[in-house]
Amino acid sequence: MLVVVTGISHKTASLELREKLALDGEAALRVGRDLMTHAGACEAVALSTCNRTEVYTYASDVAAANGATVACLAHEAGVPVAELEPVVYHHAGDAAIAHLFRVAASLDSMVVGEYQIVAQLKDAYQTALEGGSTGPVFNRLFRRALEVGKRVRTETAIGARPVSVSSAAVELAAQVFGKLKKRTVLIVGAGETSELTATHLKAHGGERILVTNRTYAAAEELARRVGGRAVPFEDLEGHLAAADIVISSTAAPHYVITREHVERAMKHRRHRPLCFIDIAVPRDLDPGIGRIDDAFLYDIDDLRHIVEENRHEREKEAAKAECIVEEELDEMRRWLRSLEVVPTIAGLRDKVEGIRRRELDRLAGRLGDLGERQREQVEILTMSIVNKILHTPTVRMKEAAERDECYLYVDAVRMLFELDGSEAAEAEDEAAAAEDEAAGAEDEAAGAESEADGAGAPEEDAPGASAPAPDRDAPGASTRAPWQDAARGSGPAHARDEFEPGAA
Amino acid sequence: MEQASAIVLWIAFLLYCGSFAMFLVALFARHEGLERVGLWLVAGGWTLQTAALVLRGTAAGRVPVVGAYESLSAVAWSVALVYLALEFITRVKAIGLYVVPVVIGLLVAALTEYEAPRELMPALRSDIVVLHVIVMLTALGALYVAGGAALIYLFEEWRLKRRRLSGVLGRLPSLATLDKLMFHATLLGLPALTMGMAAGVIRVETFAVERWWTDPMVLLSAAAWVTYAVLLWGRLRVDWGGRRVAWLAITGLALMLTIRFAAVPYLSAFHTYGS
Repeated sequence: MLVVVTGISHKTASLELREKLALDGEAALRVGRDLMTHAGACEAVALSTCNRTEVYTYASDVAAANGATVACLAHEAGVPVAELEPVVYHHAGDAAIAHLFRVAASLDSMVVGEYQIVAQLKDAYQTALEGGSTGPVFNRLFRRALEVGKRVRTETAIGARPVSVSSAAVELAAQVFGKLKKRTVLIVGAGETSELTATHLKAHGGERILVTNRTYAAAEELARRVGGRAVPFEDLEGHLAAADIVISSTAAPHYVITREHVERAMKHRRHRPLCFIDIAVPRDLDPGIGRIDDAFLYDIDDLRHIVEENRHEREKEAAKAECIVEEELDEMRRWLRSLEVVPTIAGLRDKVEGIRRRELDRLAGRLGDLGERQREQVEILTMSIVNKILHTPTVRMKEAAERDECYLYVDAVRMLFELDGSEAAEAEDEAAAAEDEAAGAEDEAAGAESEADGAGAPEEDAPGASAPAPDRDAPGASTRAPWQDAARGSGPAHARDEFEPGAA
Repeated sequence: MEQASAIVLWIAFLLYCGSFAMFLVALFARHEGLERVGLWLVAGGWTLQTAALVLRGTAAGRVPVVGAYESLSAVAWSVALVYLALEFITRVKAIGLYVVPVVIGLLVAALTEYEAPRELMPALRSDIVVLHVIVMLTALGALYVAGGAALIYLFEEWRLKRRRLSGVLGRLPSLATLDKLMFHATLLGLPALTMGMAAGVIRVETFAVERWWTDPMVLLSAAAWVTYAVLLWGRLRVDWGGRRVAWLAITGLALMLTIRFAAVPYLSAFHTYGS
């Protein structure tokens, strides 16, 4: 069983195709369920944002899962499979998990370090969870992915500095004024960038927004949109005297605000600084303004330069984020390995054998007057009880190992017997344990071996302990066991009932 | 006791160094959490330094501000105090990086001039002298911080004006923050300076020193006082911009440094350190 991802993103597909493939909550759920019923996927989550549409499945047949996903997406989008195939990417196993983690860390985003992806991922997962298309693996996987997003956000400075022109303008204004609360912004011209910048300034606390334009109606229109006030263009100097931040983006071919304008306005300002940001090409603001005391003038090139620099910085931070992805991937990998059958059987046997051993030791005092032979009989009796009890579960799990959903049994057994607890959870001597199963009462060697385990200290040097055993150095990986996630996952049963596809 | 004081001071010094390292890393990694760690390290360093001062005072049996070692350490202590007060009260962030090196520098100077506590000369054994020294140290601390902020202000304004934004944007405190810092620090420093000067005058009057007002130290102090008074007046009454305030703060800083490191030890005829 492997995690498989199939999808398209801004890196592979055109905007047009991405638009066609955009899935709303209902469609995402439909795709997931479809893949579960027809393509043999055990769990499925579809993630659809404006930059990507990808489907995560947990399946045993990677090629089949890929094919089915592509077909399903083509069907949803109403495009032929042949059109989709060349732009689709697939990853399976660790690569798929790494991909998901990188997406959550916004390392795969168009703008590295953007914030929305974590929320979008959370929505996608929530939809799938409530629609019942996730299980223990995806419940854990997607929670880890969200955690990766959070860690990257808090442990690196990947999103610390803005990478758009309008937010760079805000950063500049903030460098002069500190907090933008109680600052007055004057917008000259009703261009789109000035609107965006005004919105940003407002979001950062800019309190008063004045909009002026040669055509008063356009000024009023923009003022309404950004929640400001339109003021007449004729009284420009008066507005300059009142403003703290001036943003200009008119289509005028000449300077709209000259040095003389500003010099006259400055007389009324008593040295309060005034920050000019000229977004227009050709420029609106006389470069001479920059030479006036207390006036700061920036043009579009300055803003682009800031953006460039900040991008560069994000790339550096991205390297740190990759390390976090790597760490989390390791942990996830470890956990997935624990879902395999053989170590679980071994763990189960160790656990029960441990109990038997401990109970015998506890009774050793009271059995004092038993002879050697009787002691042996007690030993054989208890061992035979253990073996008889464990026989059926062992056989059933081995049978289940042949089937896809075996990990569900594994998960259940690990939960019921608390195999992911602190001690004896991941016994390494799976080989010994496997032999153990067949062994009868006279197998004293096995008994002796388990004795060591029963004492809570699994031995490193147990025969055949070396290779594929799950790492027991990672209690962190196993303390939050799948069953915990599963339990939480199945928690909002009522939510499932109330789930309305349209609302998502 | 004296030895304990020196050891504690060393630990405080290391904490200050640690906080500086934190601030540096926080600057480059843009990590706010580290900045908080740095702030707490400064607070810890300051607490230990206070303990060191108390121990030293107990060992010497007097207020430990006599001689280069003690007085430099005390100035460092008051700079740290002013920094912490400003940081906690006015919530002006991100200045630790610029203030803590001053503290460290002063401590290095102090530690290289280490000496055993000496006996105080009789003329200095008075409450008014103790008051004079303590408020003067506070004034020095506050006005050094104001001067430091002014230097950064001018540098940053110069960069912003010339549109050289790298290294400034998102790294230095905003101009408004620095302006506020200069103002608040002076607001704290000037009253202390006034009190310290008044205490000095009272002391000098009781000893009937002749023509004390012509002493270079006194003249420089008066000049500094006027500078800061003009600064506050300009800022409060006529809305002076940050640049003018910054220049005044720097002038004041130059005067204060001259007073502390030239006039007091070398030029003044009557100001002595108990030697």
